[in-house]
Amino acid sequence: MKNLKLILALALMLVSLSLPARAAASASEGEGGFNPKEIIFEHLGDGYGWEVPFDHHHRIPLPVMVWAQDGSFHCFSSSRINNHVVYRDGDYAWQVPAEGDNKGKVCQLMPDGKLVKPKFDMSITKNVCALWIAVLVTLAVCLPVARWHKKHGFKAPRGFVGAIESLIEFIYKGVIKPTLGEDSRKFAPYLLTVFMFIFMMNLLGLIVVFPGGANLTGNIAVTLVLSLITFFCTNLFARKHYWKEIFWPDVPMFLKCPIPIMQVIELFGALTKPASLTVRLFANMMGGHMIVIVLTLIIFIMGDVAGTAVAGATSVISVFFSIFMLLLDVLVSFIQAFVFTMLSTTFIGMAREKGHDEVHGEAHSLEKI
Amino acid sequence: MELFTPDFGLIFWMFLAFAVLFLLLWKFAWPAIMKGVDSRAELIDKGVLYAREAKEQLDSAKQQAEQFEAEARTRQAEILREADKMKSQIIDQARSEAAQEAKKEMEAAKAAIEQARKEAQQSFRDEVSAAALEIATQVVRGQLANPQAQQKLVDNILDQIETAN
Repeated sequence: MKNLKLILALALMLVSLSLPARAAASASEGEGGFNPKEIIFEHLGDGYGWEVPFDHHHRIPLPVMVWAQDGSFHCFSSSRINNHVVYRDGDYAWQVPAEGDNKGKVCQLMPDGKLVKPKFDMSITKNVCALWIAVLVTLAVCLPVARWHKKHGFKAPRGFVGAIESLIEFIYKGVIKPTLGEDSRKFAPYLLTVFMFIFMMNLLGLIVVFPGGANLTGNIAVTLVLSLITFFCTNLFARKHYWKEIFWPDVPMFLKCPIPIMQVIELFGALTKPASLTVRLFANMMGGHMIVIVLTLIIFIMGDVAGTAVAGATSVISVFFSIFMLLLDVLVSFIQAFVFTMLSTTFIGMAREKGHDEVHGEAHSLEKI
Repeated sequence: MELFTPDFGLIFWMFLAFAVLFLLLWKFAWPAIMKGVDSRAELIDKGVLYAREAKEQLDSAKQQAEQFEAEARTRQAEILREADKMKSQIIDQARSEAAQEAKKEMEAAKAAIEQARKEAQQSFRDEVSAAALEIATQVVRGQLANPQAQQKLVDNILDQIETAN
């Protein structure tokens, strides 16, 4: 009974909270119509400047750094190009187009009125800023564990440090050591860094306001870099056996000699591994973000279609589901970081595998000793 | 689709950020953590092993002590038994020695008595034979007064010699 009262009170609070939101939505409708697709992609994508809650016009300014078509370097605050305003910097003019192919990317406004992409765009965007925040958070999380180990030796840490240590130990002892064996000391630094970094980026993405909220691991550039590093680790440290399996596998001769069928398949397999890594992490995290945003937007869509009362009722349900999805995303954050690390470990482990001959030869040389 | 085209700027920054993070953690965090985790696991394993061994040792020490005690007890009993045996043996020996001594004494006494008896017999016999000889001498002297009797005696002796041959 007590619980029922609590739930009722919460529902009422949510309804009353949704009313000003509804008002804000209708206000923005007045400016240019309510476009859920626009909102979804704005939140999923990158941007110059960082949104602040309850304000559609102001953003936290971040530096825009571009090389113009003639090769000159320009750096200015992102607040100057907010809301598609043209920023003139001497002879150069910059604008973020609202439409077209380069929509949302800063472009050079040429004297003839054309918008041209700059040579390079190295701006500290929302995602780049969030990236460095994630780096700092990862460092802040991992370094105390190392300090503890240096200071206290074999004593087990307690509290937060202990929790992080058990996480690290879970990956190190549960994934890396059983797969890589004697190579684990060599590759563990990379794999542990990948795990902690992805996990922190995932979790930061779930925080809705400033230090988080950037859809980092749901951005294909981020996951692409990570999987490319794994790809290079796999291939650069591969043993002879790995290359033999690709170029001269143990299959009947007609499958590999006149027409290199197996070689093509194996090479394709080697190349699809990083692609699958990229897309798996990207799609999972982006999907999670998208579901939460869509669930939130349902309130406004229902408000548009059926009016304020229905929007109020919908908000209770959609907030409940959003919270559920966010909690699920916490789980997904861990699982995806874990899966990425595990697959990277497996790929490296497969490349480090010794062939039968090598193992045999080693046993022989050991016997001689 | 904007979402599926990776941004060059972001790729560059991501690579840089990851490189910085990796180098910092590689230098300052992972070696210490891995070493700590590994050595702690080793230490725990060793500790468990040590404790198990110590317990075993303690158990065996207890057992040994019990064994020693039991041994001491049996040995004590043995010594006591032996002492008892020795005591009775000593008494027996003394008794038998005394009996032997007595027997010897008795035998010596008996021998002395026998000797004395023999000596007495001998001297009695000597005296008796001397007396008989004296008597015989006296008789023979009386009988050999006539020649006939002398002849008869000589004949008798000669007959005796003849039959002996």
